[in-house]
Amino acid sequence: MDRLFELQGEFWIAAVETLYMVALTLLIGGAVGLLLGIVLYTTRPGSLLSSRPVFTLVNIVINFFRPIPFIIFIAAVQPLARVVIGTGIGNNALIFALSLAASFAIARIVEQNLLTVSPGVIEAARSMGAGPLRILGTVVLPEALGPLILGYTFVLVAIIDMTAVAGLIGGGGLGNFAQVYGYRQFEPVITWAAVILIVVFVQVVQFVGNWLARKVLRR
Amino acid sequence: MALVALRNVTKTYPAPGRNGSPIVAIDDVSLVVEPGDVFGIIGYSGAGKSTLVRLVNALEPATSGSIEVDGREITTMPERELRGIRLGIGMIFQQFNLFNSKTVWQNIAYPLRVAGASTSQIAARVTELLDFVGLAEKARSYPDQLSGGQKQRVGIARALATSPRLLLADEATSALDPETTQEVLQLLKRVNREFGVTIIVITHEMDVIQSIATKVAVMDGGRVIEHGPVFDVFSNPQNPSSQRFVATVVKGIPSPAELAVLRERHEGRIVTISFRDGDASQAAVFLELAAAGVGFELVYGGINDIQGRAFGHLTLALRGPDATVDGVLATIAERVDVTEVA
Repeated sequence: MDRLFELQGEFWIAAVETLYMVALTLLIGGAVGLLLGIVLYTTRPGSLLSSRPVFTLVNIVINFFRPIPFIIFIAAVQPLARVVIGTGIGNNALIFALSLAASFAIARIVEQNLLTVSPGVIEAARSMGAGPLRILGTVVLPEALGPLILGYTFVLVAIIDMTAVAGLIGGGGLGNFAQVYGYRQFEPVITWAAVILIVVFVQVVQFVGNWLARKVLRR
Repeated sequence: MALVALRNVTKTYPAPGRNGSPIVAIDDVSLVVEPGDVFGIIGYSGAGKSTLVRLVNALEPATSGSIEVDGREITTMPERELRGIRLGIGMIFQQFNLFNSKTVWQNIAYPLRVAGASTSQIAARVTELLDFVGLAEKARSYPDQLSGGQKQRVGIARALATSPRLLLADEATSALDPETTQEVLQLLKRVNREFGVTIIVITHEMDVIQSIATKVAVMDGGRVIEHGPVFDVFSNPQNPSSQRFVATVVKGIPSPAELAVLRERHEGRIVTISFRDGDASQAAVFLELAAAGVGFELVYGGINDIQGRAFGHLTLALRGPDATVDGVLATIAERVDVTEVA
């Protein structure tokens, strides 16, 4: 317990680092994933802007990267991270890898949730003379907003989980804190302090997500 | 000039499997819808009626043939131009297809936004339409807070927002109970009368046709097998499939099973006399029978009213000497159709 008080400073820094990584990943991966998901949805055969080549390409890319375990994925994309953001280690390199991985996961979730929008509603909009982009923006996305929020909440929890391995490439965060000061130094109290804070983060995220979705769905 | 004219229209879908043959949804259909018509298209599910109506606003492209809407050929029109055509055609659906994320007000305003109307124009038009369908107090409600009949009324208001000349109703009452169905049909009738909107009604229910249509086309297997004024098709259906549809609302000649029951209860010869508006009146027929001294009893049938014109089939049990009955039936048959059924 005394050790935890000694490490208080490091503990809160680690907490902030986790929040930083999660927030940036959600921002970048969330945007790229949304875009990819929309591309998947709109280009699939019979959809608003169906294009078999684009759909097949994006589909294959996502299917290729998604099954790679994240801990290996980090190492695999390290050269790419050096090219794109100039470094292969640290929090930012982790954010790069995490955003990439999250994009592919989010793309699938977005695609699946958009597919729940009733084809009849889209047909109604078409019958009023609306074009594909207008239908996407004013019908499909608003109609799927509730499930989309729940989908993003799910991904956000997974992202918090995935930041725990940041230590592998010299990143920080609560996962690294728990390993370095707790696990490796035989201090279960330290480990559990990190675990509890992570659980609190997850609970808050889930609560806010559920609340927002309920508000949007009016249930 | 015709509002909608289809000439030799065909729609085929590609074969489902590698070795299947293409599916013919619409097979060489020619139809003309005049301004002011309430044009009914009736058929069993899979007959092609929903596909047919989607060809009219080009939600589905025709495979071959010509489709003119308001004098403009739409089969060769590019998609961007078709959007303009669709603005002039309203459509309502069996499942209403309202936007659940938008309020009633926003639903009705949607096509006006697509059309590029100004905020003040939208406000005026939406208010007017909410009054017309009697849902002014529901403007801020969401579709999931409405009953089925209210949802369809919103659907109608939304379809009318851009003041289209043509309204397509795809099984618009099939998800509603009988009472609400009548309510919605009466509203469609008002749309036709008060705004002069031409309506194409798709249905599998003959009473929908009977209630509002002026003309009807019967579809089966992708083809129009019979069409004409509703009165003609109802009072004298030519095709067996049309006859089956008419039989769902009109009591015609009793079926063998019904005859067996009638036979048990009534003596004498049983004949069905068919009346059509303009033919000899019932009174004249009954006078003949009475004058000949033939006793008669009405055992089956009824008289129907289609747009103020009456027709029907009355089945009578006749009692009297055979020769007398033969004689009087011969006289009556000169004026109306007589079918000896048992």
